[in-house]
Amino acid sequence: MNGLLTSAVAGLTAGGAYGLLGVCAVFTYRLVAVVNFTSAAIGTAGTFVLVVLNEAGIPLFPAVLCGLVAGVIAGVAIGLVMTKWFAESNASTKAAVTVALLVGIVAIGLRLTGGQHPHHFPDLFSGSAMRLAGVELTISSLLTIGLGVAFTILADVLLSRTRMGLHLRALSERPMAAELIGVPVQFLSILVWGITGAVTAFSLMIIAPQRSPDFMSLSLLVVPALAAALIGLFRSFWMTLIGGILIGVVEGMTSVIGGLNQYRGAVPFLIILAVMLWLQRGARWDEAR
Amino acid sequence: MSRMVVSELRVDRVHLPVVREVSLSVESGQISVLLGANGAGKTTLLEGLSGVIPVAGGKIEVDGHEIQRQRPGARVGAGLAHVEQGRTVFRQLTTNENLRAGAASASDVKKAYELFPELLPRRDVLAGLLSGGEQQMLVIARALAGRPKILLIDEMSAGLAPTIVRRLMTTVRKLADQGLAVVLVEQFAVLALAVGNRAYVLRRGKIVYDGACAELRDAPDKLHQLYLGSGS
Ligand SMILES: Nc1ncnc2c1ncn2[C@@H]1O[C@H](COP(=O)(O)OP(=O)(O)OP(=O)(O)O)[C@@H](O)[C@H]1O
Ligand SMILES: [Mg+2]
Repeated sequence: MNGLLTSAVAGLTAGGAYGLLGVCAVFTYRLVAVVNFTSAAIGTAGTFVLVVLNEAGIPLFPAVLCGLVAGVIAGVAIGLVMTKWFAESNASTKAAVTVALLVGIVAIGLRLTGGQHPHHFPDLFSGSAMRLAGVELTISSLLTIGLGVAFTILADVLLSRTRMGLHLRALSERPMAAELIGVPVQFLSILVWGITGAVTAFSLMIIAPQRSPDFMSLSLLVVPALAAALIGLFRSFWMTLIGGILIGVVEGMTSVIGGLNQYRGAVPFLIILAVMLWLQRGARWDEAR
Repeated sequence: MSRMVVSELRVDRVHLPVVREVSLSVESGQISVLLGANGAGKTTLLEGLSGVIPVAGGKIEVDGHEIQRQRPGARVGAGLAHVEQGRTVFRQLTTNENLRAGAASASDVKKAYELFPELLPRRDVLAGLLSGGEQQMLVIARALAGRPKILLIDEMSAGLAPTIVRRLMTTVRKLADQGLAVVLVEQFAVLALAVGNRAYVLRRGKIVYDGACAELRDAPDKLHQLYLGSGS
């Protein structure tokens, strides 16, 4: 029993990162209407900048800063592609474009980072924060969850309380009408891409040391992130965050149940499937009325 | 004083010219009425003016500055406001939030309520839940809250009760008298001609009449002929 609890708690770091990535996905979807499959790849690019600089002898703190800046640049670059050429496209076309971009980024990333070539991923926040009922809570797990909560609160406050949030909500609903009343739509869209670029880069930096450290696996963390976003129905930041944490915890628990271990990666898939089926059931019920 | 001069404008839709060789002008204190049958290209023309779709040729000058290459947002900065066809309220935002999104200051929001007192009791209602007339007032109020110099209104009266239409017409006249330049696209030609100064009739993308509103007002047969084309 205690083993199960320990492994569940061990899944918290990943869960927090999934939640944070998921909240970013919801943020991007709600504000610029793109289901962004490149988010984790953008974060991975930032993380590799950190790793390469750190290996070259640059101290951790400036290297992290450079990694975050790289995340912002990568996010803004993707955002420019999406706003310049695909602003008028429908949601499924845009999603397809980001899938294509993901494939491109992973190919370039693998080439530049040398595939499975072992890199040293610095553990930004190692160590234990506290012990709870005999189970160790790591700093990084508390940090990702704390960051997830903070970002969720910030996103909520930004959208509901500020003038910029008002403009973002107008933009998300009718970009052209918003532009026609003087909302700086291009600036705001790019800002959204930049912010999510920085946040995803930071999430990836925290979670990378626990993962197989190649560009491809890290970029595919977008799958649990989108699964979390789906739990929040691409609308609720809080449900997404909770969903992400849950996915991490379930993943953690499967790692100690003999035989299930190999299927750990299937957890987000099963959750996506379950949510879709559940939604479908609702639709059928609607039709039946 | 503001003045917009459009010369030899061409606007394409899917590479086909929908608006061709259009020249028109409007200035502070004036309402230019733009008439034409369904599909004549009125909406396309306004969208070309505000930048919703790019123009394929010609010039748009506002106070001597060419704006036809600018993005819609920049044209707003030059003093243009476009009330699009079809009541483009932000449905998930309240009435008040719709106004605030377009307003430069709180006093502009207050003025909007003075102009359309009907909106005041609806201020915290989601705009998607307003009636058609309320939504139309809201989009006009929202455009005005940005203090434009030139206002383009597309199909102001579509789907509205005659009393509301008359009120809106009077309001637009009042705004023009206070110094706004207005381009008004209207199906109810008679009502628009009653408040307008200059009239343009568009047929298959070309201007076939350019003259005083009064002249068309007094000659309904002529207007009918202009709509349909004299030869056909
Ligand atoms: N998105 C579009 N793609 C292709 N053609 C279009 C598009 N929108 C309009 N058109 C065509 O352009 C022409 C002019 O349309 P427009 O909407 O400008 O006319 P209108 O004068 O505003 O008509 P209405 O009085 O019905 O609003 C029409 O022949 C129409 O078929
Ligand atoms: Mg029209």
